[in-house]
Amino acid sequence: MSEQIREQISAFLDGELPASETELLLKRLARDAELREGFGRYALVGEAMRATPHSRITRGFAARINATIDGEPAVSSPIAAARARPMHWWRPIAGAAVAAGVAAVAVVALQQRAVTPPLRAAGVAPAVIVSSGAAGHDGPRLANQPKEPAQPYVVVPASATTSAPLPGARLTSYIFAHSRYSSVLGQRNVLSELLADPDEASRAGAGGAVVNDAALHQPVPQDVRSAQ
Amino acid sequence: MRSVVAARARWLVPCAVVGALALGIPEASRGADDPREWLQRMNQALATRNYDGTFFRLSEGRVETLRILHRVKSGRTTERLLSLDGSGREFIRNDGELTCYLPDQHTVLVEPRQDRGPFLGSLPQFGADVNEYYRIELLPATRVLGRPAQVIAVNPKDAYRFGYRLWLDERTAMPLKTQLCDASGQVIEQILFARLDMPDSIPDSALIPAVRTEGMRWVRQGPSHNLDQPTLSAFRSKELPPGFRLTDAGAQTINAGVPAAHLVYSDGLATVSVFVEEPPAQASAVAKQGAAPVPPPAPMQGLARVGSGFAFSTVIQGHQVTAVGEVPAKTVEFIADHVDAHDPH
Repeated sequence: MSEQIREQISAFLDGELPASETELLLKRLARDAELREGFGRYALVGEAMRATPHSRITRGFAARINATIDGEPAVSSPIAAARARPMHWWRPIAGAAVAAGVAAVAVVALQQRAVTPPLRAAGVAPAVIVSSGAAGHDGPRLANQPKEPAQPYVVVPASATTSAPLPGARLTSYIFAHSRYSSVLGQRNVLSELLADPDEASRAGAGGAVVNDAALHQPVPQDVRSAQ
Repeated sequence: MRSVVAARARWLVPCAVVGALALGIPEASRGADDPREWLQRMNQALATRNYDGTFFRLSEGRVETLRILHRVKSGRTTERLLSLDGSGREFIRNDGELTCYLPDQHTVLVEPRQDRGPFLGSLPQFGADVNEYYRIELLPATRVLGRPAQVIAVNPKDAYRFGYRLWLDERTAMPLKTQLCDASGQVIEQILFARLDMPDSIPDSALIPAVRTEGMRWVRQGPSHNLDQPTLSAFRSKELPPGFRLTDAGAQTINAGVPAAHLVYSDGLATVSVFVEEPPAQASAVAKQGAAPVPPPAPMQGLARVGSGFAFSTVIQGHQVTAVGEVPAKTVEFIADHVDAHDPH
């Protein structure tokens, strides 16, 4: 990311970029996925620097911010990642920048997969594995059965996540049906998610498993009519 | 209407009124710096004004650029939400119907809908039940997009729901920036406007989808009124997270025409849908009466991210149960796990 762009983004986030330049920035963002990623990190980091009362700034803060903005994983080992945890503000971007390698990237993909995953033959398995105990557990779950505490969904090994996600087309149907009832703020959230560019996550290196035509081979829902 | 008071409010507010001032103050004495007034004004603006804006949605280190157009003309609302990042996906909402164009999946989804308010978001009326589970406060005013903005926080009081922070344009009460936060205040998702115009009129041409629909599959889903599935209607969640209650229950056909009970639980702000499907064998028999015989879908189990919320699927008494909502994972899990067929007698 060039210094000039960085300044533009910073000015934009501070509400100080003139309208004409904002238009230009928008156009660049629209055609440059890498820039969008950088922008996202920058915006989140900027948010952190404006410091909510929850923020806890720790040593190496500036270095990590710079590293993050430049797209380098700021913390590269699991141990370091664990150490970084106390920084509350950091967690929102943990999936993208902090956690180690593949696992982190998988999260970006997962979010996408919730909408348009490949359809896997094995139907019984979690999309995002909350606890390994859930995998392959296909019997009815007792309503009051105590559950293991959920592990943070951001730390999912990529291998586990590619096994068998919730089928995307089915999930899309649920989301769509739910959006009619959800609070309107929430509705925008879920609908925006359906609008997301499915390629974005694969570009982030998610192993390419994000979208394929398999999702189209879902059972055809009721009342299918052909286009004009 | 209290909007006259609210209009005057913007001159009085900047003195950084913080804290639970909205709580415990009788309705009548609430005035200029009441965050609820601002939320009402925002609702009003989102529902009644014309606007055309471009915004970023930032979530989990990902950014999407979207455009929203909203027009109210002769009492009819038309809205268009589209991705600017190349997916070509679009939503068009006309009074009564929501259409979702997914060109990459060669699919158009259509759902008849009651008029539920604009895409971009407004908040429901804040009743007493919302007060019990959220703390609403006015934060120090600031600037967004170069405009003076009021900042309002809707803080969840426990970890079963998310909160919001809203930066409202002081002049129009439009949300220039919104954040979805968890109970500890961490930002989960952020919407940030790059540009927001409020034109007097928006031409029809701006509200037509850019998607070419030739060869696309059209799929209709929606509430069904003639399902004869008494077993399904017996299902309820036996136990709920604090503040949630059943607000709607009905039948729905989704997933290849499989009948499903659709239960809606809400705490007044957050909403969770629960879908209970017939066991696969029965479901496929039902589907066969329709046009296209299809193999029964495999059972699902597990948790998935859905935008900034979650979906959780499990199997209970042979029925596929899925809870979906803009809530933390533990909330969808809790609600789905406690689903059970109740005794109607």
